[in-house]
Amino acid sequence: MQKHSNSAFVNQMLVGVLVVIGTCGSVGLGMVGIRHQISILANENKAIEARTAAVERRCTETSAAIAAEQDPSILMQRNDVWHLALGPARAEQVQRVDEDPVMRMASKHNRGLFDTGATPVTFRIAAQP
Amino acid sequence: MSKGFASTPRIALLAVLILLVFGGIGARLVWLHVLDRDELLRYVEKARRQILVQTARRGDILDTHGAILATSRSLIVLGVDPQSLVPADEKKWPQLAGLLGMPLAQLREILTTKTRASQHAAQPASPAGAAAAAETGPDAGSAKLNFWGTAAADLKAAARSDDDTVLDDADAQGNRPIRWAKLSDTVGESAYADITRLNVRGVYGERVYRRDYPHNDMAAHVVGYVNRDEKPVTGIERFAEFYLRGQDGWVESEKDGRREELAQFRTRDVPPSDGYSVVLSIDAEVQHIAEAELAEIAAKYQPAKATIIVSDPRTGFILGLANYPSFDLNQYNKLPADEQGAMRNTAVADMYEPGSVFKIVAVSGALQEGLVTPSTTFDCNLDKIDYRGLTRSLPRDDDHFDHRLSVAEIIEHSSNRGAAQMGMMLGDRKFYDYARAFGFGQPTGFPVGGEVGGVLTPPEKWDGLTITRMPTGYSVDVTVLQMNQAMETIASGGVLLRPQIVREIRDQTGETVYRFGRSDVRRVVSEQTARTMAHLLTGVVSADGTAPGAAIPGYEVAGKTGTVRKIIDHQYSDNHHVASFIGFFPASRPQVVISVVVDDADAHTPGGIAWGRVVAAPSFKHIGEQLIPYLDITPPMERPVGTGLAMEENHP
Repeated sequence: MQKHSNSAFVNQMLVGVLVVIGTCGSVGLGMVGIRHQISILANENKAIEARTAAVERRCTETSAAIAAEQDPSILMQRNDVWHLALGPARAEQVQRVDEDPVMRMASKHNRGLFDTGATPVTFRIAAQP
Repeated sequence: MSKGFASTPRIALLAVLILLVFGGIGARLVWLHVLDRDELLRYVEKARRQILVQTARRGDILDTHGAILATSRSLIVLGVDPQSLVPADEKKWPQLAGLLGMPLAQLREILTTKTRASQHAAQPASPAGAAAAAETGPDAGSAKLNFWGTAAADLKAAARSDDDTVLDDADAQGNRPIRWAKLSDTVGESAYADITRLNVRGVYGERVYRRDYPHNDMAAHVVGYVNRDEKPVTGIERFAEFYLRGQDGWVESEKDGRREELAQFRTRDVPPSDGYSVVLSIDAEVQHIAEAELAEIAAKYQPAKATIIVSDPRTGFILGLANYPSFDLNQYNKLPADEQGAMRNTAVADMYEPGSVFKIVAVSGALQEGLVTPSTTFDCNLDKIDYRGLTRSLPRDDDHFDHRLSVAEIIEHSSNRGAAQMGMMLGDRKFYDYARAFGFGQPTGFPVGGEVGGVLTPPEKWDGLTITRMPTGYSVDVTVLQMNQAMETIASGGVLLRPQIVREIRDQTGETVYRFGRSDVRRVVSEQTARTMAHLLTGVVSADGTAPGAAIPGYEVAGKTGTVRKIIDHQYSDNHHVASFIGFFPASRPQVVISVVVDDADAHTPGGIAWGRVVAAPSFKHIGEQLIPYLDITPPMERPVGTGLAMEENHP
């Protein structure tokens, strides 16, 4: 390569220009690509936020509907309509237990296991002639 | 690189090409910046930066167990741009009408009315709002929804008006095209999803939060309500506005030509901070019991008004507060003008003369000062008595007694003359001081309902008869809550407790931010005096007392009846009474205080006089019996005996 001729200088310049164009183009394309990815990501985030908000709205709506259905007057109305005959416990129906309920249940169970009062069983025996 | 490639013609050609390229770029720049400038500027203007408001959700109001008493639901304000409708969608109109619950003819009229005469044209809520509606519709195609709420305030305003017209586009006759006509402002999420699927071009909606009260009229006077402008009007909604309101967020961003947000250009994103939830001390079940009892009282006696309060004497928290008449929180705006009084929280906003229930002040004071003991006797047949050098007439008693009554009997029989004599033993100033100490003549500090302080005139302004009347509950005006608070003082062991309704503040995640606890105002009487008073008050529900109908089998009930004549046309009436029974149980270990006050039930009461023992005492008993299993109120004297089984542990 002749370094001091005009043609050689032009050659070098062209190579340089091409390299610069190629580099800038690559950087530019890269930036465009990154911006595009940022855009996609941002919109995905926005969509996720929208979905989350939608779910929360549905939860709120459902909670409100459940609360409305749990209104005592509604429950009583359902009780009447469906003939459930449910009612609040009355004082006389409540047996108060002042002991450990686990021990109480255990003692009740054991009382059944070791109860000596066996039920009488009778068998008919026919005598052989 | 060869020398031949860089020959002069080739260099010239390359230079020309480069010049052409740069020339082309320059020409394009001139085209964009000069020739096409206006059009591009319009585009840029559309795509300019914007600030989007993100509305915060108002917090919930919960009962003590977390049941929702007030919540904010997302609803869709659905509208239509009649200019954007296409004939192909007309076959979908019946389905749309069905989803909206609207007659097809009415829907058709809205959809086909494309212009409005200018003189009748509704002013747009704001030009921006109208423009937003106009632009969003056609571009959206169908049921377009902007989650972030473009100019939420504008759309809220638009939602309030039934239609918006574009003022600039009036035709020669002055008719203006309608760009927004409201179809419904109560479309739920699921219905909106169906409408979206229907895909009717020009129909679009905007989400707004609306207050919803799932229990309708439950605790209406306590919960209060928020009006359509999202402004709290009464009740906890107003008192706790600071906690409930929340903080709107905002997004600084850019939008494209279709007004869609370009999320990648967000520069600021301040998320909304939803409001805190307020947990009340109100128990929905207790409240329901109180309201059901009021409904029974209303059906049976048709009173002018009535109030029931249930509170916990250990903490001062209100478990239930119900007034008759009441109203539906979801329908507050549909209440007829002549029934607006139903919104009044009569438990704290109305005063009445308490009658015999007020005798607890004179007796407690006399006991506390050591002037009397439960066995001290008084002549309750006296008509007149000397007091400070003057002869004073004593109030009338309904019964004649053949012996001197002890303090216990005075309470039991509710003797006016006995109470008056104890008031006089205390003296004007001391009696007044005790009445003040019990909380009368001053607001209790209850946060909702527009509380009044009652009327307790200082001794300097008393006439000669006041000292004989006030100990019996006349010449003094109180609220039901004050009277409940005074009885609660006896039940709590002599300490005046501040009546409280808010138990907790919770953040969005359900974590407790602040918890309210018992708040003692002052000690009024000693614990011993309070215990003695509680014991004396159990006599009221005994067979010889004034209210045996309030007795609950197996439980020590302490309470006091009150039957006071109302002032009609400036004089006490014999046909109009306020009947009350205020008490608590179990007397030796109080767990609940119940106040029942019924105003003017005489007309439908057998005998024509609404006695406290007839009208109020049975309700006390009925409520108490329901509360026993629910609140697990145990009779203090009962302790089950062990069965002696081998597996049992010996408990002390």
